Amino acid sequence: MPRWGMVIDLDRCTGCGACVVACQAENNVPINTEDVYHQRRAIEWIRLERYWEGEYPNIKARYIPVPCMHCQNAPCEPVCPVYATYHTSEGINMQVYNRCIGTRYCAINCHWHVRFFNFWEPKWPDSLKNQLNPNVTVRSRGVMEKCTFCIQRVVKAEHQAKLEGRDLEADEFTTACAQACPAEAIVFGDLDNPNSRVAQLVNSAVNERGYRLLEDLGTEPSVYYLKKIDPEAAAEEHSGH
Amino acid sequence: MRRREFLKLAATSATGAVLFTGCGSIGDANPEHEFKIESPVRNPNDLLYGRDNWYATATPLSIGGYGIIVRVFEGRAKKVEGNPDFPVNLGRSCAKAQALVQEVYHPDRIGGPLRLAGQRGSGQFQVIEWEEALGQVADLIRQAPDSTLLITEPLNGALGAIVEQFVQTTGIQHASLEPDERVVLREAMRRVFGVDTLPTLDLANARFLVSFSADFLHTWISPVQFARAYGAFRQGRPDVRGTYYHVGPRLSGTAANADRWFPVRPGAEGLVALSMAQVMLEEGLVEGDGAEPFFQAIGLTPEQLGADFAPDRVADAAGLTAEQIRELAHAFAEQRPSVAIAGTSAAATTNGLFNLAAVFGLNYLVGSVNSEGGLILNPASPLPDELPANRGGDPYSQWVNIAQQIAGGQIRTVLVHRANPVYSLPPASGIQDALRGAGSVVSFSSFLDETTMLADLVLPDHTALEQWGLVVPEPGPGFEIVAIQQPVVNPFVNTRAFGDVLIQIASQLGQALPWPSQEAAVRALADGLRGLGRGNVEAEQPSEYFVTMQTQGGWWDEEARAEEASPQAPTAPANPEFAGDPGQFPFYLLPFPSDSLGYGEFSHLPWLQALPEPVSTNVWGTWIELNPRTAQDIGVETGDVVRVVTPQGSAELPVYVNPAAMPDVLSVPMGQGHKAYGRYAEGRGVNPLELVAPQAERETGALAWAATRCRLELTGRRMRIARFEGQFPAFQLEEFPIIQVTRPRT
Repeated sequence: MPRWGMVIDLDRCTGCGACVVACQAENNVPINTEDVYHQRRAIEWIRLERYWEGEYPNIKARYIPVPCMHCQNAPCEPVCPVYATYHTSEGINMQVYNRCIGTRYCAINCHWHVRFFNFWEPKWPDSLKNQLNPNVTVRSRGVMEKCTFCIQRVVKAEHQAKLEGRDLEADEFTTACAQACPAEAIVFGDLDNPNSRVAQLVNSAVNERGYRLLEDLGTEPSVYYLKKIDPEAAAEEHSGH
Repeated sequence: MRRREFLKLAATSATGAVLFTGCGSIGDANPEHEFKIESPVRNPNDLLYGRDNWYATATPLSIGGYGIIVRVFEGRAKKVEGNPDFPVNLGRSCAKAQALVQEVYHPDRIGGPLRLAGQRGSGQFQVIEWEEALGQVADLIRQAPDSTLLITEPLNGALGAIVEQFVQTTGIQHASLEPDERVVLREAMRRVFGVDTLPTLDLANARFLVSFSADFLHTWISPVQFARAYGAFRQGRPDVRGTYYHVGPRLSGTAANADRWFPVRPGAEGLVALSMAQVMLEEGLVEGDGAEPFFQAIGLTPEQLGADFAPDRVADAAGLTAEQIRELAHAFAEQRPSVAIAGTSAAATTNGLFNLAAVFGLNYLVGSVNSEGGLILNPASPLPDELPANRGGDPYSQWVNIAQQIAGGQIRTVLVHRANPVYSLPPASGIQDALRGAGSVVSFSSFLDETTMLADLVLPDHTALEQWGLVVPEPGPGFEIVAIQQPVVNPFVNTRAFGDVLIQIASQLGQALPWPSQEAAVRALADGLRGLGRGNVEAEQPSEYFVTMQTQGGWWDEEARAEEASPQAPTAPANPEFAGDPGQFPFYLLPFPSDSLGYGEFSHLPWLQALPEPVSTNVWGTWIELNPRTAQDIGVETGDVVRVVTPQGSAELPVYVNPAAMPDVLSVPMGQGHKAYGRYAEGRGVNPLELVAPQAERETGALAWAATRCRLELTGRRMRIARFEGQFPAFQLEEFPIIQVTRPRT
């Protein structure tokens, strides 16, 4: 059985935002209007954060794409009173939309802020609805939503393999963000398949400069980051905590 | 009658009919013909219920013309991905290409041909039939072909061929509009390397890259191609991590990725390049006989270079220290293969051509022209006569002439395809007033943009995903390549392909173009490629050849590369000149192309409006960036509204305090300030072109949009800037670094 995971190389990421739009296109994420930004309620299942370091002229702006970490010991899961948030046997942190009653406990318990609540009914002009992906539910008001590691792609690939009576091949599909990423900074795949790129990265680059976000909390995220390389970084690099 | 059919009929009579006779755009509903119950025999091609299909096609030239595959489900375009076979992008894509599907189903898309129903500019149109529209355009051309002007975006390939034929056959004039910095870049390529094409970079094999203001990962000529190579440049080799330095007046979305950023005064890029060359020559760091072509390109003697461009002499003017310039020179000369590029604002000053010539000339000094890890020149189109390569845009100075000719009546009829001169040219060009008073204006745009609002007739074109085409990607991957564009869905509304329209107009004029339709032109020209007997597509029969080409996404021949390059004409050093007296206008005004909206051509797509600008994280608006100290001195903070005053005009903008802004450089994104162009673009922000003085680049006549000074006046008002920052913090906590950084292995 696969164990899905992701490696994001911060030294490759260019901050272009292709992953953000690709995710919105694939997953029927509502349009983030100006008002939504004013309310600080923009929904981006994967987002690009930018952090400043230093002061002019010795200043850096650094980028990091942040999807759901799909923690193996996820703090969002046990707090859901209706089991809308649960863990699949393949390591994905899932949200069952029609179970969700909108308590938002999960969002409060998520330290990465990657759960998004639909405070209003999402709206598209009728003609734009033609673009919506038929494989992905449009979430309604009062429901929590989040990155699913493109579960529809996972299911489709697994179904196809089953129909053909074979095992899933390494890297035979990927998530929308990873597929779009022009710099190939995002790699998704089966951590347990030694032939997958993601597993190979975990065995090589991750040993060298890998870390996980807020790893100290012990939630075992399935998303690994590769540290940004900077020749001018302080001699004592940041510890992994 | 089944329930489903009943609902379809009900919807037709309720919404479809009203909207379609009313305004002629889709509005919030689906077009009427979509509700017709069709027999399975007349179903769109390949429509298989419940299954998705993937079609290979190409992005429009404004996004580079690279290969994409589009997921189509029950006749609807759903998702764009990169075409994994296509050499330019190898499966990768960008935010703009992702958003192409929104263009197809855009609620404000023009639903069919329109005729002006009120005053020109009122936006009141009446729906007419195609035959009537075609007849009227044919009449206009028949009356006076030589005083008819066709304005297009830069075109090449099949549509370029059709337009060329149409212009020749009918005897009308043709002008093409593209961002002025590209006009300068094309001229620089001609002069420095003797080629008419834009270059690419072999970053995957380079060790060092220095970019002079070129925003190559986000907006400059071919971001997807470069970003892909950039990934390999950084982490694609086990032992080498490429080093990237950025020299320029703004820490752009691209520059944020640099290992080091050297903030220089706007327009000083060429000066720094010459000074680097001086250091390299003096210290004997030049490769082989690379000095000779370099001096040809800049038109100086070694003595002049030594006398006037030593680091100590230019450091102050550039805003760097002499030591920094030496450091740049050493890094560039010693970490080979190395490559130098310049663009974006470096091309948009009055000395833009010199900046580009000096920087691109540096590549000669390290032997990086057309060599592994260097700057790779692109060959011309594989069929130069039949499939024209990019003709390039006309410079600003020419547009001023055109505006005068329209105003003076020498040009009476203006046909506009996709280009939006009213928005893209500064008001000082006079084009808006000229078009307002022109005899007739005909637009072929899919959207009611500013120029189309002034049209008497609108004959809307298909969107990129609905039409046939052959596109020569600009820039290519270093060898001959043609992308094939095919309709992935049937036209959603009552539009016609621009090529078809031209062919039909020509036939009404009694003149036949060589092809009966745009599709036929694509098929005929593709067969011309078969005639070359080389390339990736192998098939005996023409039909098999065409289908193979469609499935692969194009034709390419990796062996067909550009020949040796040599400088054709010198470009002498020049200093940048700025409109506005420094005493009265203490700051440089630096517009920059928006990472997602470009120069405003993508502002109508909501996904791109909602995509945060990477450095500021701002969305849906225009702002002005101030250094924290400058802001403190003036007494403003993020969200305070200031009046930006230039010799040309003034505008009120909210301040965004950008910790990386140079103290005397105020940056403003382009892309907003649309007065039309649909609900997502209209009425937001300011178009900085309304603020810049109409300065021209001194040799090409292109608009120098980064050559204006400004001052700020307080308004005492505040407004909220829509931005992403705030949903997450701006600075990370030291004890919990989100982004961890490490030094390179030694």
